[in-house]
This record gives sequence, structure tokens and C-alpha cells, in this order.
Amino acid sequence: MTGADQLSAALNDPANGVVARGVRRRFGPVEALRGVDLTARCGEVTALVGPNGAGKTTLLLVLATLLVPDAGDVRVAGHDPLTRPAEVRSRMGWSPDVFGMYDNLTAREYVEFFAAAYRVPSAHRADRARELLALVQLDSFADRPVHVLSRGQKQRLALTRVLVHQPAVLLLDEPAAGLDPRSRVDLRDLLRRLAREGAAVLVSSHILTDLEEVADRVVFIDRGMTVGEHNLAELPRAQRRVWRVRALDLPALLAALDAHSYPHGDPTPAGVDIELASEEEVVALIAGLVGDGVPVVSCAPVGGALEAAYLELTEEHQ
Amino acid sequence: MSVSAHGVATVAAQEFRLRIRAGRWQWLLAIWFVVLFLFTGLIWLSLRQPIGIEGERGTPMFGALMLFVLALALLVVPALTAQSVNGDRERGTLATLQVTLLTPADIALGKLAAAWGTALVFLALSLPLVAWCVVEGGVTLSRLAVTLTVVSLLLGVVCAIAQALSAVLARSTTSAVLSYLAVFALTIGTLIVFGLAATLSTETVTRRERVPVFDPNGATITGYTDEEYTTTEPRTERIWWLLAPNPFVVLADAAPQLPPRRDPVTGLEATQSDVDVLGAIGLVVRDLRSPPEDRGEGPLIDKRGAAVWPFGLAADLALGAAALAITTRRLRTPSRRLPRGIRIA
Repeated sequence: MTGADQLSAALNDPANGVVARGVRRRFGPVEALRGVDLTARCGEVTALVGPNGAGKTTLLLVLATLLVPDAGDVRVAGHDPLTRPAEVRSRMGWSPDVFGMYDNLTAREYVEFFAAAYRVPSAHRADRARELLALVQLDSFADRPVHVLSRGQKQRLALTRVLVHQPAVLLLDEPAAGLDPRSRVDLRDLLRRLAREGAAVLVSSHILTDLEEVADRVVFIDRGMTVGEHNLAELPRAQRRVWRVRALDLPALLAALDAHSYPHGDPTPAGVDIELASEEEVVALIAGLVGDGVPVVSCAPVGGALEAAYLELTEEHQ
Repeated sequence: MSVSAHGVATVAAQEFRLRIRAGRWQWLLAIWFVVLFLFTGLIWLSLRQPIGIEGERGTPMFGALMLFVLALALLVVPALTAQSVNGDRERGTLATLQVTLLTPADIALGKLAAAWGTALVFLALSLPLVAWCVVEGGVTLSRLAVTLTVVSLLLGVVCAIAQALSAVLARSTTSAVLSYLAVFALTIGTLIVFGLAATLSTETVTRRERVPVFDPNGATITGYTDEEYTTTEPRTERIWWLLAPNPFVVLADAAPQLPPRRDPVTGLEATQSDVDVLGAIGLVVRDLRSPPEDRGEGPLIDKRGAAVWPFGLAADLALGAAALAITTRRLRTPSRRLPRGIRIA
């Protein structure tokens, strides 16, 4: 296949909820996007990861039918946001990183207003609102004004706006910001469920440990360009990583490490951190420790694979 | 750009609800009513004084009240609308609206309807006082209907202009200031421009006048001769349209003429213009529209020239329509540009 054929195949593949190829956008002297490629498939959660100012929000604005790109091809739910914004909007839900709510409405009125704006038939709006408020566990706040909600509760209420028209594509910019741990777990489960039901979910976030548990694929962008697109299971193994070892007998562990002359940090209640160059070295370490009779409880990488890949990536580009 | 009744109604209902819940309306409306009441009462009291005004008291009361309502509303309305769009941008609620199935025209029209509706609430509060004028007599039904309709339309135009400014400018304070300047331009500005243009339009013309020729004794007229003389006069018939969009001119000139009044002593037709404020303003601007030759001298009563208000009202409505079109355009997404310093969300 030629490049043009491949491009057209990717753009028109119905399995792709979001396709972006070579997207560029400049704001005056600042080139926010310098050729972003991204694919978010239906039935998958795709993580959009990159440092501050990498262009994540700009990219999501382009995908969300709000911003005209200077160049590039984009499809969201099978339509071009530039030429068919209405078709895209009826199938896409977008939540920006910073947004306002209507403080004087109640939570229920908020959902019902957006249901009307998305043309949910009036007979179904009340049911839909009840359903969605229950989904984000705000049912007890249905008749409270939005301004009494906490930041995390507002984030959850915003999700009802995104989901009110049952979109096939979700574009979420930092949806976990301000959420407490319990809500983050709930959000994770919700995103997984939506993906299982066939939606293409694109999430940008800084909380990489969360993303690692929810995402099927990850797209790294940096300075307006895609620098990596991977399945999470096949993330390139970071070579040098820190591993944390915990043993029932700390003095024995420290003695064994010193005996094998592994440089290590000071012990903490969580364990002892050791920097190792490869997974082979990890195997050798564990074998050595067990061989010495150290009661090893665990040996695990510090930070997720995603975080390690991200850190390695941003290091390369600095 | 497509527009739907459902979309406009959804936005209008939402905006109206937010407006009602946001402010201390009861106080603002109460102050508004008290001010109008005091004004009408003072006019009523002053008309009871024996200052030689003939005719029914309702005519001057109603005219003064409507001009006053219009003036006050022109002060209130820009503040109601001047942050309709950029206020939403600042609060971060506009973009979430733009990604729904509401079209730019739905949003623009819905917001305009809510703003206009709010302005009409203020107008509606003047209705009890209007009723008082009607009770006093001298207000015809047609004058009542036309005047209230014209004021309503003019308030809608001002709403549309303020809204367009809020869509074009990033900051709501800037758009509020410019809205007031726009109202100033329409009211005082048209007067100033007209005044200056009238001076510039002044022409020296040579006129002939038929003058009598007297016999040498100066006692009897022996015949007539044409005598030439030069004079300077402003040719306001060329520039009257500068004054036409003035809301007060439109309001006054649109008010239908009252039926002629009989002087109770002489039984002759008497002019209403000493008590009919609206009619008097109308006569003045119609006179400005006529060439100098046709202008009435002395009492203006017979010389009701061609109407000015249709042009003024049409110009104002065109201005409002253009403003609405600009608002719609600025709400269109995907957009190429972002207002400086404003995040799109």
C-alpha cells in the first residue's frame, strides 16, 4: 500500500474512534502542534501522555470540533470535525481540563439542560439525569445547587454532561484532577466499562499510575509531536529502573546486599531501593538473596512501567 | 446557519433561569418602579398647576413617561447584555455549550431572547403608570400600541448590539463600556453629527420674492414686482437622515397623530403641540426633512411632512440584525482564532 492508501484506510476504518494524522496548529509565534499522529480505537482506552505544554489540550480542542487545525487529517467517530462538526458532536463527548459550571443550577437541572442541548427527547431527560447522577454517585446531591459541590464532585458532575448523549467517542482532558482516591478508582472502572461497551476513550492525564491501570494503549506527545504510540502490554522496557525490595528481616537483607555489593539507598518502611540496569539483573538479585536465605517478601519496580517509559522519554528529549 | 425552535428555546430558558437566580432582581426592579412612579407623579402634579396648558393631562404625561422609560432603559439594558458571550467565556461555560448540538444561531438567538425578555420585564413594570396616563385621558389606543411596540423593538436592538460587542471583545468590562458608547452614539452622537452637518450644509441661496410696489406717497399698492435677495439657510432636507436612527426621534415620530382638538372658546381647530411632547418632536424632525421652501411658518399644524421614523426604525433594526449576525459568526466553531488571552474552554 502507498502512504496515501494507508492514510485513507486509517481514516476510514470504522474500528478507529479517533484518527489524527500530521495535525499542525500554530498560535502566532508558538507552534502548539507540529505533526501529531494518534489513533484511538473503539473498545479501548487510549492514554494521551506528555509534559505540560506538549499540546495535549490543543489536540483535544481540534478533536472536539472547536479549533481549526492548520494542517492534517482528523476523523472523530468517522467524521471530519472540520467539515461535519454536527455529526461529530452527536457522537462525541468532550470534557476540558478547565471548565465552568452553572453554579446556580441544581445538579439535576445541569444534566437535564445538557440533555436538552444534545436533543435527548424530553420524555427521557428526567430518567437520563437520574441514571447518570446515580452512575457518578451524586444522586443525593441531585437537588443541591452546583456551587455547594466539591471540586471532585464537580468533576464527576461534568462527566454526566459528557455521557448524556451516549457518545461513541470520549475525549477527556485531565478527568482525574481533583478526584479523591475512591473517585479515581470509580472513574477507572467507569472508563473501562465504557470501553468494554464499545466506546473509544481518549484520556489525557498526569496521574500515570492511574492511566497504567486503565489504558490499553498510550500515545506520548512532546513539543507538539507524537514521539511514541504503544500498546501498554508492549511498552518498551525501560532499561535502568529502581526496584524496591522488602524482606521480613531487614538487617539480613542489608547485609546480603552489601555482601553482593549492590549500591542501595537508605532503608524506608516501604523497603530498600536498588537501581538495576536490566531485568536479568533483577532475576540475579532475587536468586542471590533467596540463595543467601534472606526472607524476601517482594521485589517490585518503583513507579509503573508507564512512568518509567515517560521519564525515559522526557529525559531523551531534554 | 441552521437554527431550531428547540435550540433557541433551550438556550433562552437556561439563560433566563441563570439571570433570575444570579442577581438581586427584586431590588433593581423595585428601584426602577419607584423612580418611574416618582417621575410620573411629578409630571402629574406639575400639570395640575395653572400654567395655561390646555388639553387632557394624559397626553403630556404619557409622552414624557415613554421618553423617560426609553432613556432609563437605554442605561440599564447594556449592563444586562454586555457580558452575555464573553462572560460565559470567562466562566468557562461557552465551549461546553458549543460542542453540543446547539448551533451558533441557536445560542445567539436564545441569549438575545433572554436579554430582550429581561429588558421587556422592565418595560412591563411601567405599564401600571401607563394605565394612569390613559385614565387621565388623551392617549389613543393606536398611540399606546405603537409607542410600546417601538420601545420594545428599540430595546431589542440595543440588546443585540451589546451582545455582539460581548461576542467580539474578550473582556466583559471592555464590552460593557463600548455598549454604553454605542448607546451614546445613537442618542447624543446622532444629535451632534446632525448639528455639525447642518452647519456644513448651509447654503447661500438667491430667492425671488414678490413684493408690492407702492405709489410715491406710499399709500397705495400700484402693482407687484419680483425682488431678488440672498439668504443663508441650512439644507437639512439633505441630512435629516442623520437624525433618523436616534431612538427618541423614532419613538416620538412613530407615535400616531392625535385627533385635532377644538379650542373650547373659539371653536376652531387648535394645535396639540404645546401639550403633545411626542407629536411636537415628530413635527420638528419632519420639518427638517422638508426643503426650506415647503417649511411651515408660524404654527406647524398643517404642515405635517413626510415621516422620518420608518427610516430610523429600519436603520436601527438593520443594525440589530447585523449585530446578531456578527454574534452568530463569532460563536461558530471550529474556529480559526481565539480571542487574545482567553482559553477556549
